[in-house]
Amino acid sequence: MTYRPTADHDELRAVVRELADERIAPRAAEIDATAEFPWDLKELLAKQDLMGICFPARFGGTELDNISQAIVVEEIARADATTSLIVLVQKLGALPIIVSGTEEQRSRYFPRLASGEWMAAFGLTEASAGSDVAGIRMRARRDGDAYLLTGSKRFITHGSIANLVTIFAMTDPAAGRKGLSAFIVETDTPGFSAPRIEHKMGIRGSPTAELHFDDVRVPVANRIGEEGDGFAVAMATLDRSRLSIAAQAVGIAQGAIDFAIGYAAQREQFGERIADMEGIQFMLADMASGTEAARQLTYAAAAAVDADAPDLAYWTSSAKLVAGDTAMRVTTDAVQVLGGYGYVTEYPVERMMRDAKITQLYEGTQQVQRLIIARQLLRRAGVSRPAK
Amino acid sequence: MGREIAFLAEFVGGSPTHAALELAAGAADLATQSGGSAVALAYGPGAKAAGSLGAAGASRVVLLGDDPSPAITHAAAAAAAAGELEPLAVLAPATPNGRDLAAALVGLLGLPAFGPVRAVRIEEGRVRTEQATLQGTVITVSEPTETAPATSVVLVLPSTFTPREGGSGSAAVAEAPKAEAGPLGKAKIVESHPAEAAVANLEEAHVIVAGGRGVGSADGFAILQELATALGGAVGASRAAADAGWVPYQLQIGQTGKVVKPALYVGCGISGAIQHRVGMQTAENVLAINKDPDAPIGEFADLFVVGDLFTILPKLTAEIRRRKGL
Amino acid sequence: MVCLKQVPATTSEKRYTADLRLDRAASEAVINPLDEYAIEQALRLQESGAVESVGYLSMGPDQAAEALRRALAMGGDDATLVTDPGLGGADAWATARVLAAALDRIAPDIALMGMASDDARGSLVPGAVAALRGVPLLSYGSELRVDGSVARVRRLTADGFDIVEAPMPVVASVTDQVGEPRYASLKGIMAAKRKPMETWSLGDLGLSPDDLHGAALTRVVEVRKPEAKPPTERVENVSADEAVTRIADWLAARKLA
Repeated sequence: MTYRPTADHDELRAVVRELADERIAPRAAEIDATAEFPWDLKELLAKQDLMGICFPARFGGTELDNISQAIVVEEIARADATTSLIVLVQKLGALPIIVSGTEEQRSRYFPRLASGEWMAAFGLTEASAGSDVAGIRMRARRDGDAYLLTGSKRFITHGSIANLVTIFAMTDPAAGRKGLSAFIVETDTPGFSAPRIEHKMGIRGSPTAELHFDDVRVPVANRIGEEGDGFAVAMATLDRSRLSIAAQAVGIAQGAIDFAIGYAAQREQFGERIADMEGIQFMLADMASGTEAARQLTYAAAAAVDADAPDLAYWTSSAKLVAGDTAMRVTTDAVQVLGGYGYVTEYPVERMMRDAKITQLYEGTQQVQRLIIARQLLRRAGVSRPAK
Repeated sequence: MGREIAFLAEFVGGSPTHAALELAAGAADLATQSGGSAVALAYGPGAKAAGSLGAAGASRVVLLGDDPSPAITHAAAAAAAAGELEPLAVLAPATPNGRDLAAALVGLLGLPAFGPVRAVRIEEGRVRTEQATLQGTVITVSEPTETAPATSVVLVLPSTFTPREGGSGSAAVAEAPKAEAGPLGKAKIVESHPAEAAVANLEEAHVIVAGGRGVGSADGFAILQELATALGGAVGASRAAADAGWVPYQLQIGQTGKVVKPALYVGCGISGAIQHRVGMQTAENVLAINKDPDAPIGEFADLFVVGDLFTILPKLTAEIRRRKGL
Repeated sequence: MVCLKQVPATTSEKRYTADLRLDRAASEAVINPLDEYAIEQALRLQESGAVESVGYLSMGPDQAAEALRRALAMGGDDATLVTDPGLGGADAWATARVLAAALDRIAPDIALMGMASDDARGSLVPGAVAALRGVPLLSYGSELRVDGSVARVRRLTADGFDIVEAPMPVVASVTDQVGEPRYASLKGIMAAKRKPMETWSLGDLGLSPDDLHGAALTRVVEVRKPEAKPPTERVENVSADEAVTRIADWLAARKLA
């Protein structure tokens, strides 16, 4: 796997960083304190063509390669993790259609998603089906040329503000995994509601919703793939979307490091700057080298996705595992570097630490990532699966 | 053999600008160093009466024009005058009009240009200037190269020179050599909109009370005006306050506004970001009042008070009046 | 046919901020911030149909090409870079001479520049270019408009504003009041790669280093630190009344009140 960020990548990074430093970073504390979704920043990202980075040009997108997409998410997350979700979840919600949708479905929805006029969300998780996707209970019953969807989803990022949600429901409950199907649901369809938003530890400006479906009518033309393809579609989606989480985690870590360095260069104790003390220097060095390692692994995974490598899941899982754990460690250390000041809301590192935690939880917990990685390792080594 | 020192003297509404009076005094001083005399290049409404600059330090006056046309339209006449006088230096104020005319001289005559300078003197028959660069962290001293033409254009910051007081005498006024105004003369003022309220000229103010984002509203500036009045000064503002519409743009001090050098500058609710700082950092005494103990202005103020300007300013105004016995 | 060209100056000094957060202007500035306003004004004129095309001209080392690409990413049609080893250390006159020669070749209706207030090199260039090219100057405009064959600026004065106009072609400079410069959008960046950019040397302009008097008519003879200022006296954690007394005493000691 070879990759090298090019001058174009560097320029993209500079442009997004400028936008993030000037317009997103100043809003971060307020977004966290009020837990209000930053509509103004969504408009800004749409205007700068950043909502369309994963969509083909024929639909109005800019079709960037995955390293570029990672850079965009990373630079936004460095300023504010919540805002990075605006770009990230737009892709997540659209991925089922990207990997398995028909050209007709794409041309119906992608233009509005690429322009940012519509927002997308991904609805897989349920109250009793998190890591265990096969535990999904939502039903999709065939009714003429449509399906009626009934059930609930939980912890759906942007579920309450999305115009379109890609939903996974059982068309054949008896068939277990093979009975799951995927659908595109327009949220203004009667029977759909988002009655509840979670109060969270971090990424507080991003609404995480519970969705209720009460015989929501979805035309057959909105089913993604065939009946029973749902599990495969979901896995193909997550194999790719977790790359964005890795990029997000790298960005969060970088934001924490940058702030910690700035603080250490200015804070004096015992007659010297703490940045000149070995204890602090060791911490900063570990933070930086760990983040760089996570970043490079993320780009390697991005290159694997671009090449459509058969083992891309191994790469993206590794990146998400390493980056998520790194972000948690680095942000915790950043709070430590700031000492008491790191604990108060006047400084951004406590928010970054709270934001970092989610990268170890969503889109597949770190435990699930390890299962995925182990499975690949054993398969490569020729170790067969246990009989069940 | 002595060399003349010329200076641009702008007239507005029949009177010389403060900059013209400052440069007259400065040119007169430099002329004693260069062995020549100070010559005013006067323009603008009222320039016909520029003989009054004699009291300010000018030995004679060359009249470029008496009409209200833009300063740049007098460039050809100024160049012709400079060609005849061959001054060692032409001093120009670092104002938009001064810069325009200075620039035209540079273009038309291919002259070396300095500034905006905070000091200029003549040493061994050569112009030598001092300029603060890199946000005031470094002082750069410059002079013309050996092969440069014999006249230097020097942009001068406000308050570098002090106008003479109590001078007398009148300078002879002569017309500039005949010169076609040329293409530069084609700019014309088609509309003139004086502001409704008279706005104090910040560049001449002895005391400036300036307000920034922390003042919060146009009404908030009334408190600053009270203090300014009590101190005998004028109100200024940062760009944030002007952008917010709390004060007219003429009050903006900073990189894209006015550069001021008052004896006392009071910054209220101003963070002291570099764009503002470059407009006031040469003030003699800087007092800052800000709620934020880490505001950058605290690093270069002479006295930094951490507190609420809405509480402190009215009390300060009252105390100053009390001490004055008002 | 109205055609507008514009001159972003080369990137100049880095700016340091008092606080430690990365200042994009300090580390990443590719276009002189004051020139961004000129770019914004030009693009607005193009969007309103007042001018037909917008091009960029810059003089400087290779890094200036980056500035031109960034300008193209904001909008506009083409760019020209004048670069030559003989241009190192160019002063106001040399810069103006080169820009004037390039502009004479391009022959735009309006040569638009950002107002620069930091040093003579920046702030004298527009006027010197106008003088050298023999065209009128409309300077320090807070707004630039085109009306038929005439260009017009709104120019702040000491106590109000004037409207100043001149027949085109002109040289114009604008201030930061023209409006916030737009960010380069992603599509703009991608489109910029395909827009034409030409490079000219001094020879292409018919100039030699001798014509520029070796690029500078002035030289620096000494660089020194400014006089040390006494450290800031701080008043904090006291009552408002106490603070007021301290201030009033301080003012009295300096005979300021």
